[in-house]
Amino acid sequence: MNETMKATENLQEYKGRSLAQETWHRLLKNKGAVVGMIFMVLLLLLAVSGDLIYDWDTQIDYMEMGVARQAPSMEHPFGTDQLGRDVLARVLYGSRYSLIIGVGSVVLGLIVGLITGSLAGFYGGGWDQLVMRANDILYSVPNIMLAVVIVQLLGTSILSLVIALSISSATSFAKITRASVMTIRDQEYVESAYAMGLPTWKIILRHIIPNCLSPIIVQVTLSIGSNIISASSLSFLGVGVPIPTPEWGTMLAEGRQFIRSEPWMCIFPGLAIMLTVLALNLMGDGLRDALDPKLKR
Amino acid sequence: MAEKKIILEVQNLTKYFDTPKGKLHAVDGVNFSIEEGKTLGIVGESGCGKSTTGRTLLKLLEPTAGKIIFDGQDITNYRRSQMRKMRTEMQMIFQDPFSSLDPRQSIMQLISEPIKEHKLLNSKAEIEKRTLELMDIVGLARRFVNTYPHELDGGRRQRIGIARALAVNPKLIVCDEPVSALDVSIQAQILNLLKQLQRDMGLTYIFITHDLSVVKYFSDDIAVMYLGQMVEKAPSAEIFSNPTHPYTQALLSAIPIPVVGKEKPPRKLLRGEITSPVNLPDQCRFMKRCDACQECCQNSANPQLREIAPNHFVACHIAK
Amino acid sequence: MSEKNLEKTTAAAAEQEKDHILDIKDLVVHFETDEGCVKAINGLNLSVRREKTLGLVGETGAGKTTTALSILNLVPSPPGVIKGGSIVLDGKDVLQMKEKELEHMRGNEVAMIFQDPMTALNPVMTVGEQIAESVMLHENLSQKDAFERAKEMLKMVGIAESRAYDYPHQFSGGMRQRVVIAIALACRPHFLIADEPTTALDVTIQAQVLDLMKELINNNHMSMLLITHDLGVVAEVCDDVAVMYAGRIVEVGTTDEVFNATRHPYTEGLFDSLPNLKEQGEELVPIKGMMPDPMHLPEGCAFAPRCPYATEACNQSVPELRPAGGTHYVACHAYDDPNFRLRRNANG
Repeated sequence: MNETMKATENLQEYKGRSLAQETWHRLLKNKGAVVGMIFMVLLLLLAVSGDLIYDWDTQIDYMEMGVARQAPSMEHPFGTDQLGRDVLARVLYGSRYSLIIGVGSVVLGLIVGLITGSLAGFYGGGWDQLVMRANDILYSVPNIMLAVVIVQLLGTSILSLVIALSISSATSFAKITRASVMTIRDQEYVESAYAMGLPTWKIILRHIIPNCLSPIIVQVTLSIGSNIISASSLSFLGVGVPIPTPEWGTMLAEGRQFIRSEPWMCIFPGLAIMLTVLALNLMGDGLRDALDPKLKR
Repeated sequence: MAEKKIILEVQNLTKYFDTPKGKLHAVDGVNFSIEEGKTLGIVGESGCGKSTTGRTLLKLLEPTAGKIIFDGQDITNYRRSQMRKMRTEMQMIFQDPFSSLDPRQSIMQLISEPIKEHKLLNSKAEIEKRTLELMDIVGLARRFVNTYPHELDGGRRQRIGIARALAVNPKLIVCDEPVSALDVSIQAQILNLLKQLQRDMGLTYIFITHDLSVVKYFSDDIAVMYLGQMVEKAPSAEIFSNPTHPYTQALLSAIPIPVVGKEKPPRKLLRGEITSPVNLPDQCRFMKRCDACQECCQNSANPQLREIAPNHFVACHIAK
Repeated sequence: MSEKNLEKTTAAAAEQEKDHILDIKDLVVHFETDEGCVKAINGLNLSVRREKTLGLVGETGAGKTTTALSILNLVPSPPGVIKGGSIVLDGKDVLQMKEKELEHMRGNEVAMIFQDPMTALNPVMTVGEQIAESVMLHENLSQKDAFERAKEMLKMVGIAESRAYDYPHQFSGGMRQRVVIAIALACRPHFLIADEPTTALDVTIQAQVLDLMKELINNNHMSMLLITHDLGVVAEVCDDVAVMYAGRIVEVGTTDEVFNATRHPYTEGLFDSLPNLKEQGEELVPIKGMMPDPMHLPEGCAFAPRCPYATEACNQSVPELRPAGGTHYVACHAYDDPNFRLRRNANG
């Protein structure tokens, strides 16, 4: 029959844009998100290639008291600090610490939050109670205080900072995952998948998780930003990354006493934190709008 | 359809939900059977348990009590894994064409999913071919094969839902209000399609709806439900020409008839609204809204279906 | 608008003031979105007679709700833009009114009932308070008097006065819609717009609510624009009916004229699609195809691609409403041929 002939016709002809392509397209329409993305890509390149560009011993951690506390100039665009180190080099090199801590703590928190949250959302009952009450307890302790205690217990290092920050991220990821799994679980298309005869694990993997991802992706972007702030705050308080590592918060703490006379020692690391978090937030907002295919309806 | 083969028999089907206020009688002792290739219409207003009945007999919900016999097999106690195999025989079309399709899957993925899951076909080419065939059958243009549900309108989405149900060659399809979310002109297209599919493939339908006019066009038998129970069941023509239960009568007369200037049957307005189906006493459930209610109704137990004419069953103390 | 035009419209309005409460002329409303221009209303002409009910019938996307919102000058903007036309309500052009006048008009002269009774009510106020609030907004009454009026209103819509102290969630769907009606009628408007008021309700409840509305409209000498997709509801409640397709009126007349002497092929298609008129087993005759995308409307008659009677002429120009006897008007090129009859009318 004609139909069967046609059935083998080239499906490429009907190729539409896939959902991912469409999301990307919508994201590119958002100027803020594009600026944020460009900024983050540059920062990422700097962070990855930091060791190639800079030499730790001669450019990042060294003393050259002769040029200490110099105002920004052609030679030192961001000025130098109290030990004569180039602030620009340290700010750029420092991006890697902020990114490692921000991304690391979010990834760790995401793994824990995604697993506990989706189980709580899907199965409900006792498991839900357990997860959510544990969450409530963690939520009721101020994040910074919790982090301070953990860092004190584990000793000051980047790893302990990552672990400390991941705990508060995990609680928010668990909450978001649980809420969206619970909404998606009751959607008719999940019931339809049961009626189709799909086993539960396939339904979770194929229909529930992909539909939960949008709010989680947005939250990931925003959390990286807030964790960078938290990490810097902890460093500023002296319980984060130890001196002389050029972490932005640590640099702020070091520059604090010179803020009246040599403000550039604080301004530039502070600006770096602000711009990075702003870029991440712009990206997050852009993603939120771009990821929801139902927005059009 | 020479011999009359019963494809589905439901005995005393019951589904209670536990709520903080008490037991919710969603479905309360429903009995019926359907012959192969026929359509049973289940009609009632929101909260009467018609959708729960449909979902329970497909075992998407576990029945509290009762028996479900499909094609000679008692599937009441089938576990999930056993039911998965049965899904190729019994399928469902959902009410809301917007929420019943996964928004992240393309039309190709949506329609081919059941074929792949039940390994009805194996090679990719065969699966694609069958998907396109199914699209032809339900009248979906092939150019939509790579689009996503949100790009299509309600009528086309409902066609996808139908194609998904047909993909496994089922014998029985439960249609849960398949057209109530659609516009009139699209409604007619979908109803005609369902009817033609029934003729071509010998499908059996359970057609759940709140719209009596739709079932009249569609069903061989009609069952009217009120608060979890069947109050009247009869062949379609009989129920329209001779509605016997006071609720059926009210339901029929409430439909606004699109006729002007010609004589219409007098309106019979029901007073009050449907009561909550929680912790029901053993009494006629329609009593409080019934204008024919007599003393005997208040003093007797909940009426059960009885045959007042051949194949015409009614659950009412006073109906004759 | 030029002065001359303005004069003309006011003169025309004065002329019709006697028998028309609402006159919409050549209304054009577009929604300008990122993806393109959605042509929701494209030259709509519509009149509602005093103390009569006009049913506005059409499918999803025909522009019914946009019409209703335009009458109250409430089209969300952006993206909505009222491109042209006039809406004369009780002698005054709504589109020329200042915000103050509009506020006075909404509620005092016109009230609107929406489809979903739950979202129309404030969940944290008792229904009595909500009705009283509406009364006080438009009439100079003390809180106590307003609450007394609220109780009266509840009684009028068939709800016990004692329930004035209950919250919306304590009411069922039908009861909530009665409350919404009470709020709408609390300030005694002359004109009521009801947008699918019974679509969310069960049939038996719909019958109750329609009965109630009919009675209230008659007793209070009000006029109503009833928006619905259900021809049965129109037959039940309306005096006149206008059929809308792709932002235009395609047929208008008294219900008797439109139902018993249908002129437009689309109206005929709607009747043929209805299952309840048919005997069991008979095939329905659906309208083929779908509603056109309001972003890409066809050149000529918007219904032509779906119309069984369409000819070449239909693709050329948009048909204007033409008289079809009495108050009956139809917008269809087929009547260029004086012998043209719809199939529905051919055999009586």
